[in-house]
Amino acid sequence: MSPVSAVGTASVASEHPLRRALRSGRVAVGGSILLVLLFCAVAAPLIAPYDPNEQDLLNALKGPFWTDTAAPGFLLGTDNLGRDTLSRLIYGTRVALFVAVCAAVGTMLFGTALALLAGYFGGVVDWLISRAVDLWMSFPPVVLSLILIVGFGVGIGNVILAIILVDWTRFCRVVRSEVLVIRRQNYVDAARLSGFSHLRTMLREVLPAAAPLIITLMSLEMGIAVIVEAILSFVGMSVEASIPAWGVMIADARNYMYQSAWGLILPILAIVTTVLAFNLLGDGLRRTFDARLQQH
Amino acid sequence: MSGEILGIVLRRIAVAIPLMLLVSILVFVVLRLIPADPVAMSVPPNATNEDIEALRREMGLHLPIMHQYAIWLGHILQGDLGKSIAFGQPVFTLIGQSLPATIELAVFGALFATAIGLPGGILLFRLRGRPSEQVVDVGSTLMMSIPEFLWALFLILVFGVAFNLLPFAGRLPPDMTISKVTGFLLLDCLLTGNLTAFLEAIRHMLLPALALALGTVPLIMRLLRSSLLDVIGEDYVTMARLRGVPERRVINRHALRNALLPTLSLMGVQFGFLFGGTLLVEVIYSYPGLGNLMVEAVRNTDLPIIQGAALVFALAVLTINLVVDVVYIVVNPKLRRAR
Repeated sequence: MSPVSAVGTASVASEHPLRRALRSGRVAVGGSILLVLLFCAVAAPLIAPYDPNEQDLLNALKGPFWTDTAAPGFLLGTDNLGRDTLSRLIYGTRVALFVAVCAAVGTMLFGTALALLAGYFGGVVDWLISRAVDLWMSFPPVVLSLILIVGFGVGIGNVILAIILVDWTRFCRVVRSEVLVIRRQNYVDAARLSGFSHLRTMLREVLPAAAPLIITLMSLEMGIAVIVEAILSFVGMSVEASIPAWGVMIADARNYMYQSAWGLILPILAIVTTVLAFNLLGDGLRRTFDARLQQH
Repeated sequence: MSGEILGIVLRRIAVAIPLMLLVSILVFVVLRLIPADPVAMSVPPNATNEDIEALRREMGLHLPIMHQYAIWLGHILQGDLGKSIAFGQPVFTLIGQSLPATIELAVFGALFATAIGLPGGILLFRLRGRPSEQVVDVGSTLMMSIPEFLWALFLILVFGVAFNLLPFAGRLPPDMTISKVTGFLLLDCLLTGNLTAFLEAIRHMLLPALALALGTVPLIMRLLRSSLLDVIGEDYVTMARLRGVPERRVINRHALRNALLPTLSLMGVQFGFLFGGTLLVEVIYSYPGLGNLMVEAVRNTDLPIIQGAALVFALAVLTINLVVDVVYIVVNPKLRRAR
């Protein structure tokens, strides 16, 4: 970093971390995209021009308005059953964001709880939890989520459960090593010496110190959850057929890509934009919290 | 020295065996949760309750689950993974037919990922502190947001549909067959001296391998950059600079050699993930490998195949990690000196 910006960093170091995060371009861009997506998800019935499942077979496989094959009334075209692409994209944000938020919260709770136990107590507890992580890491995540969903059956709740049961290791590994460092700090010993219980020390002294890392990981996990849901939708193992999801749109459009490539491109763009927003947010947060990166 | 390495390898294998056992328990238990009844799926619709009960006993489903597992494990150890419900063939044969294709694809994907990722990481590092760093940085974040299955579709749209440059279905043109020697298509083409088929096979492999690689490239780039950032402050780098060694040489000769080691060990994990990425890429490219077999089995609820494929995937990841660890030990001069 240039000397000028290094001085700038030093002067904002005392600022509240949240305000510092908001000043980062990445956080601002990622956050804005997510707000728009959130609005689409919440207001879907109000802003979508059609019911996402309404078929118009006479207007099937139309292109978006800027193409030759466009049909009036269908801004972004239609799929093979004449369903409005724009409406399906808007309703698709519901599944994507719902899965992203629930799965990330669940993963965070489960992974962090185990990481706290492992890092704080060490010994046998740490050994057991670390071996469980090793066991989980022997599966490619996609393979594990597939067998879990086969075991549980399809449905949005099971998709979320599967993601939590696959991705908790991501939190557990990273947060555990952070807790190992925090655990050796003097203030943690001080808390114990002044009579805090283990639980209270963990939640009041150790956890807050790991919070910046946890928040960053959560943002990245939401992006991963969106991808996993899309993959499961794509192979037909996610939500029921009547619920519009981006992965389902991709799977449908793949069979007609010669007639209408846009049907395939648009949901891909929707997924990439959403994941990019979560990654920008996570990356921006990491940069604000990580002192080492600021020095460089 | 080789004796010591052998010792380490054996110790690692000793750790991997109980892990593999636990993997098999996990696979077995999870797939027993299945809501569909495996018996109901394999009897004709006019079967009586007695028929179903008889089949249940024949399949051993009336036994306690640990007992069922023991029987299953015993069969696996004898190389019997059961029979596919949909194909009626032994799962072992089906996996044996499809695994070589997946290995070829994953190896090419890993090669591409390394060939693009390492220079990319150096580029990312060289640009640090310059205005263009931001552009490349956001570019790498964008690339990180595109998983391999979206790359796969995107590459088909660009190189297959729009420009019609490369094939994107299967491993060979439909009218071309090649006699099977090892099951590894590229190897078989060379062994039988069929150069045309070899080139065709490579052409068919380019897009899926590239899709796999692109999902891993930004991670490798970032790993290498942060390893380079770690070593660039070391004394020997400063000393080299003080001696007037040009910056390019400082990076290539001094920093890179030391930064590659941690990158290498983390790349092992990435290649494990990359192997899992073949699943969707194979489906999208109609590539007759293990991933395609497994997804097909998931759609048909063909439990024996799902179990077998999941075990093979886990075994592959453990093997990749083992190989990377051994390579790490062999090339790490610090560990070499310690012995």
